Amino acid sequence: MKFSSTLRSLTAASALAAAAGSAFAQDKPDSFDIGVFTFLSGPAAAYGMPGRQGAEVMIEQINAAGGIGGVPVSATFVDEAQGAEGVISEYRRLGEEPTTDFMIAALSSGNCLALAPIADQMKMPTVGWNCDTHQLFAKEDHPFFYRPNGNTIAEFMSYVLYFLDKNPDVKRVAIINPDYSFGHDAAEIVKATLKSLKPGTEVVAELFPKMGSSTYQTEISRLSAARPDVIFSNLWGGDLENFVRQAAPRGLFRQSQAVFALGESSMNNVAMPEGVIVGVLGDGWWRSPDAAKLGATEFATAYQEKYGKDPVFPAMKMANAFVVMKAAYEQAIEANGGAWPSKEQVTAAMEGMSINTLTGSMTFRADNDGIVDQVVGTIGSVEGIEGPVLTDMVRYDGSKVLPPEGEDPMVWIGSLTPEFLAAMPKPGSYK
Amino acid sequence: MLQTLIPLAVDALANAALIFFVAVGLTLVFSVLRILNVAHGSFYSIGAYVAASVGLWIVGAGLPDWLTFPALFLSAAVVAAILGPLLEKTLVSWTYGKSEAVQVLVTFALFLILEDLQRIVFGVQSVYQDTPMAMLGISEIGGIVYLNYQLLLIGFAAALLIALRIFITRSRTGRLLAAVVADREVSEALGIDTKRMFMIAFTLGVFLAALGGALATPTTGVSPGLGADTMVLAFAVAAIGGLGQVEGAAIASVIVAAAKVLAIYFAPSLDAVAPYLVMLAVLLVKPYGLFGSGSTRKI
Amino acid sequence: MKRSALVTAAALLILALAPLALPFLQFVLTIAIAKGFAALGVALLLRAGLISLGHAMFYAIGAYAAAFMATTLGITDFALLIIGSTAISAFFGVLFGLFLVRYRAIFFAMLNLAVSMVIYALASKLYGITGGTDGLRVAVPTVFGMTLEKSSFDGLLYYTAIVLVALLGYLVHRYLKSPLGHALSAVHSNEVRLEYLGVSAWSTLLTAYGISAALAGVGGAIAALSIGHVLPEFAFWTESGHLVLTAVLGGIAGIAGPFLGSVFLEIVHTVAVGYAAEAWNMIVGIALLVVIFFLPRGLFGLFERLVGRKSTDGEPTL
Repeated sequence: MKFSSTLRSLTAASALAAAAGSAFAQDKPDSFDIGVFTFLSGPAAAYGMPGRQGAEVMIEQINAAGGIGGVPVSATFVDEAQGAEGVISEYRRLGEEPTTDFMIAALSSGNCLALAPIADQMKMPTVGWNCDTHQLFAKEDHPFFYRPNGNTIAEFMSYVLYFLDKNPDVKRVAIINPDYSFGHDAAEIVKATLKSLKPGTEVVAELFPKMGSSTYQTEISRLSAARPDVIFSNLWGGDLENFVRQAAPRGLFRQSQAVFALGESSMNNVAMPEGVIVGVLGDGWWRSPDAAKLGATEFATAYQEKYGKDPVFPAMKMANAFVVMKAAYEQAIEANGGAWPSKEQVTAAMEGMSINTLTGSMTFRADNDGIVDQVVGTIGSVEGIEGPVLTDMVRYDGSKVLPPEGEDPMVWIGSLTPEFLAAMPKPGSYK
Repeated sequence: MLQTLIPLAVDALANAALIFFVAVGLTLVFSVLRILNVAHGSFYSIGAYVAASVGLWIVGAGLPDWLTFPALFLSAAVVAAILGPLLEKTLVSWTYGKSEAVQVLVTFALFLILEDLQRIVFGVQSVYQDTPMAMLGISEIGGIVYLNYQLLLIGFAAALLIALRIFITRSRTGRLLAAVVADREVSEALGIDTKRMFMIAFTLGVFLAALGGALATPTTGVSPGLGADTMVLAFAVAAIGGLGQVEGAAIASVIVAAAKVLAIYFAPSLDAVAPYLVMLAVLLVKPYGLFGSGSTRKI
Repeated sequence: MKRSALVTAAALLILALAPLALPFLQFVLTIAIAKGFAALGVALLLRAGLISLGHAMFYAIGAYAAAFMATTLGITDFALLIIGSTAISAFFGVLFGLFLVRYRAIFFAMLNLAVSMVIYALASKLYGITGGTDGLRVAVPTVFGMTLEKSSFDGLLYYTAIVLVALLGYLVHRYLKSPLGHALSAVHSNEVRLEYLGVSAWSTLLTAYGISAALAGVGGAIAALSIGHVLPEFAFWTESGHLVLTAVLGGIAGIAGPFLGSVFLEIVHTVAVGYAAEAWNMIVGIALLVVIFFLPRGLFGLFERLVGRKSTDGEPTL
């Protein structure tokens, strides 16, 4: 009995401390502290570092323009390569510091799945800047977690639409994806979409190498032996570069049409043959006609000056996450009569928000999932631009490739017919 | 049938070759020093990093591309010449005669230190250097294109196996090593400088691991975490073959590689589990490995 | 005896009060206690001269058991989850132990490593069952039918963990004092003589192995409930290495040693992560070497020297 009363008073004391902390946070802070989660080491850093660099450029630009609500932004970067346990600990540690205002987390779908419930528990407004598994909001609500991104359903369906239009005779498809939710989800979506839109297509190989594998030679033999018409892959970062480096000399891309869902992010690091279908998981191709109108070019110029290379789509996604965060705070400050908002007020501002990002329009649905368009293209070259670019592009309307809210996505895909494909815009229609 | 079998066999041998270099080093060190060196995987990744860095330097400096071939061997030799005697003299020799717990812990501490040293020296981004692979070109076997470099590796592994056998049975140092393995006390009584033998064996082990890493670079990328992953795979091979068994390690490499390749071809979801399932199956029946025993050890 | 009980009580009180001063310490210390339990399990085996390079598998089994019970079986009660996970871990401990405790020295270390890698590989590859490398989520459990906020549950979990340290620590202490416990050290010092005395080394070790797996399981369950997520990495071999390291760093002579090592490591890690994140493993590695070379009795031994007394739990060494 004595113990339980001590316990109660201890719990009460800590609750009091927590309440004091949140009341304090509503005074305007000296700096706007955020945690940014991305891969900074290991093979995945090839994809994660552009994200970090995009964040650095955005912070410089925001601070040069007076910060957010007059407060300069200061970021702590957390390396996702330390594994989910470390990522969770770091999120908790940062989140429990009373000065932390906002989180931009994370890159990996696995980490977002792990962090979203913690964001809710800690009542920490969080934007998933890259992760896109459709499972994130499928089973439960995450009132404090927002994803201005579109999800795997829209993304991977779009690739199937595109490659079916480009290769109408496709009969044999092979899949090689990373061995976690992102890869498995994508495989299910690709198979279901094929089944609905082009019945009779055979999936001749389905491989899930471990993330971070250094060698794919056996997988390449296996793919080669299966003689597929199309090889679909959502490998990314160093894994994708490794795979391309090892598969290209062995003639895999001469044999089959390759579709690299995250190809744009690696096409400047590794020589991808022309004709490979690539995309940006959303609308984040900075040279797209819409992006040029919305300010992506200015961002890209600043990025090129700082890092000497083009901002690939992870950098654009990160930049867009900052745009969303800034807009949410500014709307919350306005709604709060100019006073610094609480975390709940910031979260409320994101509810149903609809804004223009650097690359297109983004609207949060009631389940906190963002609707964005999907840009897919083929690697090619254009006179006047050094290096590979996306050609023969298409831009699918984001709302058309997402199932109605609340509907099971796989059931929805199963209900589609080949007419769905016929009604979609065709490759080359987006100029 | 043959159409599938040939590629399967080529893939299995190519995989086995890469594992063999590092596993045989682990088993060799164990047989002579009677230490399970947990840091062995780190020597593999250090060898890989050094070879890739040297290769990048050669290409960057505009030197002839063919130099990248000898550079692979030279890198491994340099790594072994520096780290082998240094670590053996300072750390490893201190554990001789101590309990297994101390030996494992000291090498685990070494593993932790080497992992971070690699991050500090070589950075955290992936490193690639594939000039030797690109120079050798490709061959078609059973309708599938293979890199000539992969085929060459199979040859290297076979050559190493023969060389090790000749070294142990014919050379003076090799015979002395075999004597130390057979009976340490008697060897010492006969006047064999066991301390020197230990240093030679340890350095040879480092060289083999580093060589495995160096030879792997033309077809793989090098990044943090490679050492930890390699360690367990090498360990699985050494355990299946029987700790201390050179030929055992060779056969076990082929078995583990075949299990992995078969999994990728016919049950892809089991690819990473296959080597360990094979290991468990073997160890349940023969806990000291296919060719090992609890007490007597041979090379 | 009186004095050591007093010191232990004081240490537990400090643990209990620490989060009041620094709230973020609560999560760090919960994990430290969780890993401390697993390290205590490893320390028990080290007393018998057996080094397990795979004990993280029982930590992982405890964690996954908690996750499975909550998600698949619909068991949401806090106490049932902890007891159930511990029992499942103990069961697997005895099951694997039947085979493993027949071996000594390096082969024991190796076979443990082998089994743990199978567990790790299965956890990371059976995507449909274990969630693969994404792992499984663990929802906040109910406490005697009540639904708690995560923050209050975390508080409750923390103080439960401290109570468990005292309770299980006392039980392990009694076990080590019992004939079965003394036989354990005797396996290390002279196994043949032990057998001549009519004590079966096999059953002595099997008991110890089961207990050590149960302890690791408690730790795993606490970690799972605290983190809210379980992952295959829990069973990776480097985690097992860290558990041995924690036990040795803390000292295997007393019950408090592994907890001391674990709390020390977690706190230093939390501090170091801001300043020397790249060199963290190196710092730990060097610390381990220093302890092995200069402090064979670990931090606990250092502490004893300061207090001026020695543990009465015997004199186990590595």
